[in-house]
Amino acid sequence: MTVKKYLLNASVALAMSAIAGHAAAECATDSLPASMEGPDGYPERALTMIVPYGPAGGSGQVAQAMAEAVTGLTDVSINRDHKPGGSGTVGMTAYMAAPADGYTVLEHIDDAASAHALDSTKPNPADDLIPLVTSQITFSQIYIRTEEDRFTDWNSFVEWVKAQDGKATIANVSKEGSMERVTMKFITDATGMQIQQISFDKGAPRYGALAGGQVDALFEQPGDVRSFLDAGKFKPILTILKEAPDAFADVPDLVDAGLDFEPLLRFRGFYVNAGAPEDRVEWLKWAFQKAYCQEDYQAYNESKFMTLIDSYRDTDGSKELITETVAQYRAVYKTMGLEVK
Amino acid sequence: MDAFNNFLTGTVTLFSDPIGILIFFGGVVGGMLFGAIPGVSMLTLAAILLPFTAHLSPEHGIMLFSVIYCTGVYGGAITAILFNIPGAPENAPTAFDGYPMTQNGEAGKAVGAAVMCSAIGGVASCIVMMAATAAIADWAISAFGPPEIFALVFFGLAVAASVGAKSFWKGWLSIMAGLMIAVVGLDPVGGLERYNFDMPYLAAGIHFIPTILGFFAVSEIFVQAEKKATGSYNAPKLSVDFPTFKELWQHKIAVVRSAIIGFFCGVLPGIGATLAAFMGYNEAVRWSKDREGFGKGKMEGVISSETANNAATGAAMIPLLALGLPGGALTAMMVGVFQMHDMEPGPLVFINSPDLVWVVFAAMFFANLSILLVGFLEAKTIVNLLRIPFQYLAPLILLLATVGAYAVRGLTIDVVVMFVAGVAGFFLRRSGYSVAGIVLGLILGKIGEQTFAQAMQMLHFEFSGFLGRPIALGLLIAGFITILASIYGAFFKKVPASSSAG
Repeated sequence: MTVKKYLLNASVALAMSAIAGHAAAECATDSLPASMEGPDGYPERALTMIVPYGPAGGSGQVAQAMAEAVTGLTDVSINRDHKPGGSGTVGMTAYMAAPADGYTVLEHIDDAASAHALDSTKPNPADDLIPLVTSQITFSQIYIRTEEDRFTDWNSFVEWVKAQDGKATIANVSKEGSMERVTMKFITDATGMQIQQISFDKGAPRYGALAGGQVDALFEQPGDVRSFLDAGKFKPILTILKEAPDAFADVPDLVDAGLDFEPLLRFRGFYVNAGAPEDRVEWLKWAFQKAYCQEDYQAYNESKFMTLIDSYRDTDGSKELITETVAQYRAVYKTMGLEVK
Repeated sequence: MDAFNNFLTGTVTLFSDPIGILIFFGGVVGGMLFGAIPGVSMLTLAAILLPFTAHLSPEHGIMLFSVIYCTGVYGGAITAILFNIPGAPENAPTAFDGYPMTQNGEAGKAVGAAVMCSAIGGVASCIVMMAATAAIADWAISAFGPPEIFALVFFGLAVAASVGAKSFWKGWLSIMAGLMIAVVGLDPVGGLERYNFDMPYLAAGIHFIPTILGFFAVSEIFVQAEKKATGSYNAPKLSVDFPTFKELWQHKIAVVRSAIIGFFCGVLPGIGATLAAFMGYNEAVRWSKDREGFGKGKMEGVISSETANNAATGAAMIPLLALGLPGGALTAMMVGVFQMHDMEPGPLVFINSPDLVWVVFAAMFFANLSILLVGFLEAKTIVNLLRIPFQYLAPLILLLATVGAYAVRGLTIDVVVMFVAGVAGFFLRRSGYSVAGIVLGLILGKIGEQTFAQAMQMLHFEFSGFLGRPIALGLLIAGFITILASIYGAFFKKVPASSSAG
């Protein structure tokens, strides 16, 4: 590791420590009561959490971390039921078919909002479900290999891509209407560059494609490539936020790069069916929101770079985030010529 | 020499810790048992254990999973041989010749060959893994992109089509049927729904585990039940005679070839042991002077498949540990174990946690060796399951297969898929089609479609782009030559393609 890389890593670590210290000092739900009685003895048995993705990915891990935090807080067991497939469709369908009795909760990501934006017959996470808590909110970045010598920063990357006449490549999850594809449209429209997006639905082959030089750049969230950043293998050249967080202060943000669009965020949260009994929903809100500030959960979020920006939304904040996101996607889909149902 | 010293240090660390020894042997036995019980697999055990690894040290947690990986891949061979039920997709080719060997009264020889060759394949790949993990990982990801992986899949399908069924056309139709099933669900690039008939559950596609359970286990029960009903049922002859050293030595070239194939497939992220086993088996058939003997109980078939799939286990650890890139479901769970301990697999693991890496390497080495000891003891007892009368064994297998199909995703449709595949497999096998070809088409079809789409995007939708990638071009040419050779064999030499129990 060169001295420069070491200093960069050290500065990131220091910034992280400062943020962690701040997070330990005060947390979003500290003001909630330390305990709460469930209505009429509820819950009398273990809860079930439907997770529409596999256990090893980001959703599987956050589901486990949150389930353990809730159990640690309340002594109520939570069985996780993974139903992967169809970009979250299978899990959502299974959840909507489960009894709305407050014993089954759902983990889901912003894909549920974009799916509803594209097809309004699919459940709206802000109306058909009640968000208990949004516990992870993160942003995206563009990465290149640290050893790359054809370009070294955002400006030289844009110039190089333009010179390739559409032959430059970037790895991402370019599913129709996805956050990645929409954001890339914003970027290519704003810069005038043409870049071929290569679709990788799984993380490992996507990161391997950049590490092995199969593609020129990578679109990803920092928590997912933290090991590559810590090892000095990848480096971010653009932070897709209007104001970069302190940990990435030396990476250009949208304002620095002269890109004028509203960034889309990746978020993960926990939901209950809107038809569930109101008093049970209130208890679930308390349990999941309070669990967000449990020490173990905060440590988990920190390890995943999920404390760089405000990662917490309560029920109303989550509804607002989802509603804004749906509106934003719908507007973009129309300009992209996608059929919005 | 450094590697050897590190290995010794890892071995001492592993065996000087009583809890470590306990976890090691727990993993060895657990992996074998869950691999051997029809309907569950090493993945089931790993998923159950995943949350508990938070309470273990990182060394113990990762070591446990790597041991389960080695012995679980072997364990699935037992049921493939005894009951035609592959414990996992990577054991499917083992059943092609292993089950006919059981029917021929050679169950002991088949199990013995699987034990011996699983251990050889696993130990060989461990040695290469210990010697050159970082260098191999860097080479694999820079030399093998989507175009090369697609070309590899194409070559694998071309070889499989020519060896699986009773005729050229039936071989290809079986593969094509598998490819058609593979396109059900979301397309891997644009996320568009295909052939799901507005059924949300079908949007996730047809999973290959219920399909394998249906085509192999359920259809086999139907076949045996028909024989029982018509009075032509013969109980498999029980035998615990293991192969002699001389018998195994005759297949030394097959072992070396399959170990190389297995290692090569295992090191590619997202490919792993399943393709390794099929490729190992297919190449054994292709290079054999007695191609017609495959599928009828040839020991070389078991040897090739089992050497290759265990050789893939050590290789799959290379991209995981060196780059943080898991190759399959179990290695993806290992990433979860790392992360539970605030660690990420990847280049920093070698710098920050060399002790952990070498304890894992030593554990995998000894887990593969232990297959020899525990495997022989286990095999001597499990073969006795054949004593259970069919009318009692069949419902038990059906029950376990049903649980296994449902457990994959907790979806009833997977149980339906299993029984539909069972009925279809019953009739297809009678007609000389290859159910193994269908399963291979399904498994490789998903990988092939995705990598083809990615390759086309990378090559700017120009086929000529393959000309500039020598490895991809070489594999495509090899695939076309294989197809031409099978056409020549089928239509000009008037020698039918080999038949198979598949």
